[in-house]
Amino acid sequence: MLIDVNANIGHWPFQQTNCNTCQALLERMEKFGIDVSVVSNMNGIFYKDTQASNEELHKEITSDQRFRGRFLPFAIINPIYAGWKRDLDICISTMGIKGIRLYPKYHDYELTDPACIELVNMASDRGLVVALTLRMADSRSRSWMDIDREWNLVDVIPIIKEVPDARFLILNIANGIHVNEEETALFKNSNVKFDTSGRNIYNLSALINKFGKDMFALGTHSPILDYLTGLLRVESLRESEADEATMELLRSGNAKRILGL
Amino acid sequence: MGGSLLELSANDYSAPDSYDIMKEVMKYRKINAHEHVDLYGGKIEDQIDFADRLGMEKLAISRPFTKQLAIEATPEEFRNCNDSVLNAMKLYPDRYLGMCYVNPLYGKESLEEIKRCIDLGMVGLKVYHQVKINSPLFYPIIEKFIDLKMIILMHAHCGLGVGGKRPKYGNIQPNASIPEDFVEAAIRYPEAMFQYAHTGGGGDWEYACKAMKDYPNIFVDTSGSNNQGGMVDYVLKYLGEDRLFFGTDNSYYQGVGNILSSTLNETQKNKIFFENFNNVLRKAGNHVD
Repeated sequence: MLIDVNANIGHWPFQQTNCNTCQALLERMEKFGIDVSVVSNMNGIFYKDTQASNEELHKEITSDQRFRGRFLPFAIINPIYAGWKRDLDICISTMGIKGIRLYPKYHDYELTDPACIELVNMASDRGLVVALTLRMADSRSRSWMDIDREWNLVDVIPIIKEVPDARFLILNIANGIHVNEEETALFKNSNVKFDTSGRNIYNLSALINKFGKDMFALGTHSPILDYLTGLLRVESLRESEADEATMELLRSGNAKRILGL
Repeated sequence: MGGSLLELSANDYSAPDSYDIMKEVMKYRKINAHEHVDLYGGKIEDQIDFADRLGMEKLAISRPFTKQLAIEATPEEFRNCNDSVLNAMKLYPDRYLGMCYVNPLYGKESLEEIKRCIDLGMVGLKVYHQVKINSPLFYPIIEKFIDLKMIILMHAHCGLGVGGKRPKYGNIQPNASIPEDFVEAAIRYPEAMFQYAHTGGGGDWEYACKAMKDYPNIFVDTSGSNNQGGMVDYVLKYLGEDRLFFGTDNSYYQGVGNILSSTLNETQKNKIFFENFNNVLRKAGNHVD
């Protein structure tokens, strides 16, 4: 079984993307053997009122019986925008979300903003996963209207320290995977999973040795990144590097654990 | 509602057919048209291990001198760089294709070094951002590679402030060749073969493809860490299926994954993974059987 913990639908305004509807994503999942995708709506990165994007996602996921069970929705919440607590309640009570994705750089707040800490605490209390994306797109080739800053892995540490009981998905690890021993221990001892989509997952075998086999989960960062590189990092591991039990953790087991499935 | 897996009954959901990605990976013969040795800190043995893991028969390797000041890439430095490549070629003669590196600021020494490297079995030229590809300093070197019937792989960058011509955003690499530089060189020397480096190397590949569309002697390789979805399809749309090479530039998974996940047909994937670069090598008799 394969679970992709990092898929998106919606519009990326700076570049044409393909496969940005649930229908198109499902076709791609069928073609490449992905059973389930954690999905959110990128429109929420750009809407001031992110709840509209969550409503769009909910409407799309419920529009076709074939989508049932294939998509696990994550809402995008902006904790410095009016009404976010009510939005979160609605996402939980009527939209069946399994987690939230936060975009502090796009929404212009700090991860340690009291409102953000409050949101992560609330999400944790309600059993939701909190997903943080180191970058949506490569800033080297960004549009002149896109942000020019990316996170390194260490940049997410403050919120993990603030809310140590929360469950975190760290997505598209493009920068700074080589953290020091203390930081490595923090990640290993927290309820954190890294997805396999980012360019810094350069040698998954070595990273498993460093962080442990429980740390990584298949992710594509579709449609911004190509659909198969994250899977290739997993499936190209040799038996000497990952036994069958480890492979199952990478393919779906670690995703199930963090998602509480 | 999305519904959790635990809510599913057997009738709700049928598992998709399995997709054996490693079978797909190994189905295609591959020549990696853009790789380096002694540049990113890894061992040669580790690189060969990646090549084995992902089914790369051959890797075209070079060792550019990457400091910013052009004058620092002295003849002694570029000879040392090429010695690293020659050493790797000796260790793995069946796997490595050497690409000679020079600095055209030192014209006479560059031509001497090209002769030395080609005599020792190298198959092309790799140049960096010491001198732009359209500089008159490059003319004798381009003319030499026309005679040799070998390709010139030139480092490129097309980012904001470079390709986008918006200096207010700053130049990441002020002296790197941009698409317009390649076009100027390609027009001046239509018999030469130019390889625009790493569409996935962080530059604006859409801009680059549109700028270079009408110049059939400019090829591109797909290497680089930025494996954006749709990139390979886009390159094919603008440049056609014969002007695109598979490459990695230290991003092995991305190089393979991006081509596999494209909408290209079998023939096109074979061309990009293997045949297109092999056809370039064939012009000088250095092709793979």
